[in-house]
Amino acid sequence: MKKFFALLKVSVKSMLLSSTNSQGSSRKKAATGVGAMLLIAFLGLYLSGFYSSLLMHALAPVHMEVLVFIFMGMGALVGGLLFTTFAVKGVVFGGRDNDLLLSMPVNSTMLMASRVSAIYLENLLFSLFVLAPAGAVCAFMTQSGVGHSVLFWVRLAVAVLALPLLDTALSVLMGALVAFLSARVARGALGQNIVMAVYMVAVFYFAFNVNGMIEGLAANAAGVKESLSWAAPMLWMADGIMGDWGKLLAFAACCVVPFGLVVFGLGRVYRQAVTAFAARSARNDYKLSAQSASGQKKALLAKEAKRFFGTPMYFWNAGIGLMMLLAAGVAALVMQRDLQELIGLLGDALPVMPLAAMVMGFCLCTSAVAAPSISLEGKYLWILREAPVDENSLLRIKTGFELLLSLPCTLIAGVCLTIALKLSAAEGAVLVGAALLFCVGHAAFGMLMGLTFPKLDAVNETVVVKQGMAVMLDMFVPMAVLGVCALLYWLGGMLSAWAALALPIALLAALTAVCVLILVKKGPAMLRAL
Amino acid sequence: MLRIEHYSKTYPGGKKAVDDLTLHVRPGEIYGFIGHNGAGKTTTLRAVAGVMDFTEGTITIDGHDVKKDPVGAKRVTAFLPDNPDLYEFMKGIDYLNFIADLYDIPADRRTADIGKYGDAFELTGNLGSPIGSYSHGMRQKLALISAFIRRPRLLILDEPFVGLDPSASHLMKGYLADLCREGSAVFFSTHVLEVAEKLCHQIAIIKDGRLVKCGPTEQLVGDSSLEDVFLELEGDK
Repeated sequence: MKKFFALLKVSVKSMLLSSTNSQGSSRKKAATGVGAMLLIAFLGLYLSGFYSSLLMHALAPVHMEVLVFIFMGMGALVGGLLFTTFAVKGVVFGGRDNDLLLSMPVNSTMLMASRVSAIYLENLLFSLFVLAPAGAVCAFMTQSGVGHSVLFWVRLAVAVLALPLLDTALSVLMGALVAFLSARVARGALGQNIVMAVYMVAVFYFAFNVNGMIEGLAANAAGVKESLSWAAPMLWMADGIMGDWGKLLAFAACCVVPFGLVVFGLGRVYRQAVTAFAARSARNDYKLSAQSASGQKKALLAKEAKRFFGTPMYFWNAGIGLMMLLAAGVAALVMQRDLQELIGLLGDALPVMPLAAMVMGFCLCTSAVAAPSISLEGKYLWILREAPVDENSLLRIKTGFELLLSLPCTLIAGVCLTIALKLSAAEGAVLVGAALLFCVGHAAFGMLMGLTFPKLDAVNETVVVKQGMAVMLDMFVPMAVLGVCALLYWLGGMLSAWAALALPIALLAALTAVCVLILVKKGPAMLRAL
Repeated sequence: MLRIEHYSKTYPGGKKAVDDLTLHVRPGEIYGFIGHNGAGKTTTLRAVAGVMDFTEGTITIDGHDVKKDPVGAKRVTAFLPDNPDLYEFMKGIDYLNFIADLYDIPADRRTADIGKYGDAFELTGNLGSPIGSYSHGMRQKLALISAFIRRPRLLILDEPFVGLDPSASHLMKGYLADLCREGSAVFFSTHVLEVAEKLCHQIAIIKDGRLVKCGPTEQLVGDSSLEDVFLELEGDK
């Protein structure tokens, strides 16, 4: 067991350090790690608290609080799967230290178990941040008083500890499939993209339908519970939390058994799996033909594009916001009549254009393309440093690549929303202009974050794209800016309609100018100092 | 070709990796740079290549100051680190074209040179495969080809023989000699003293960041061997 804990310590430490800067003192690293954790905790608690109270508000009057735990459990399961499946490919099967650790006198099952346990701890955080607020909401909002007993919290703790076991088992299986596809399919990235696309469609289907489900829940809560019989373990978990110890034990068994089977089953063939997944398809029949030349900038942009589209982890995490943006624009056009009806019902008080701008801004916040690009260079950074290209050009190209993706998507979505929401030409121009301004500011800010919080020694791209401090700040700080913009809109509205629009746009313009200026003035030196 | 004047490098924390190094490499010379582990060889090579920043001293390559005109200096230089990590998401041929584009190498010249060096290092057939599938030696060969197709005025190599098979090492030595005959220069570090003794026109020995001896190989070695001279200077003999 001593060996197991030593291995687990290494895996967890590497995971915790993943969100920190690769340079700087250990105290600074620890501080940024804790900061990142607090950020995730806050977001998880806020989202879960919001949805739990929404559900509880509808369900408590009909005494169907149990459904809150079913939905929150499903949310934690799906969220954990999304977050850790691609991490499994890197952490469990594709670690850079595989050769070193496999050469040591350690049982391969133990090695795999230590790495899977690190994934479990990550899922545990998810489970805690999703189920704990649901428990708190239950304690405060139910009339039955079920949430007031100590045993309720003990049962909830059992569920919080058990659920990530199931999540981890599924993540490891999916991660193994993704790793297998990368190794065996000639166009590995395409295979992974297809798996991820199916995933995303399922998640979005769930997310888009959840509000409709909530509306219908109160009327037919019992029926809804019955219709969820296919998710029996989730029903057992929820019934267990609400007081049925037998079902809670059944749920725990449903989590422990698959976890054990995956760890011990895959652990027995771990060495073979790692070897097989590391093998890449290779050919030795290439015939050299006449090559064509292009310029420096085109070559560097093409390299960024190859990395973005050829790295599913990067593509899906950084590109999801842009896909959502396009989907929102197209969906608004398709459902134009429904939207107009809704706007008509809500009356003139609804600030349609600012709301559309907020939706666009939120989508753009989640598309961190430039922020991880410095860290993704990692061990390859010497190639760019050795190249006869000045640092300013390198930064312009990296920032420009994000703009190359985000500007057209923003323009298309902006035009679609303008038509769908029947905005005037002037309103449409303000909407598109503000969104394009936000794009520029977001790209420049992301690049600055990438330079300030580089993670050049990351063991794989998962660490950079999913857990990197630069990416997290590039998502959440602009979201906070959007919040300030909303506040300024409200304050400006007290003066005049013109001021309501001018104040947030002026703030965006000022922040964008500051980011671009810092990037141009300080960026090259920051890149040189890495 | 390469002039290093009073170059020093101090790492954060105060450790002086290189202390007041002055060294000149003339066109047509193969210059060997030897020293024990941690002596400051890689630190010097990385500063010359413009990969690492430095504060004290000046380094000029073919008249270009590395600090004042870094792009000009890099345009006439090729650098190969001891463990060249190359973009694994690219195919071998994509990487060579990427480098050729960065150095503005015309299409016909790059096709000819990739063919020449690819065939010589027996790598042409593998150029269509992703670099992620290459062995360490194949990556080393690809990195070498990417350096040779640039036809650099100064070739900087850090431990170039590590990972190469004997025939590739032999080939590389031949190409280094060809490069020097055309008026370029080679500046490389190595622990293989026999190779340095046979290959280099000039040798510099560095110890704890300080240059302890340099000069033409025959003068430096005299009647003994480079190994004897090195060990004597290192105080091991």
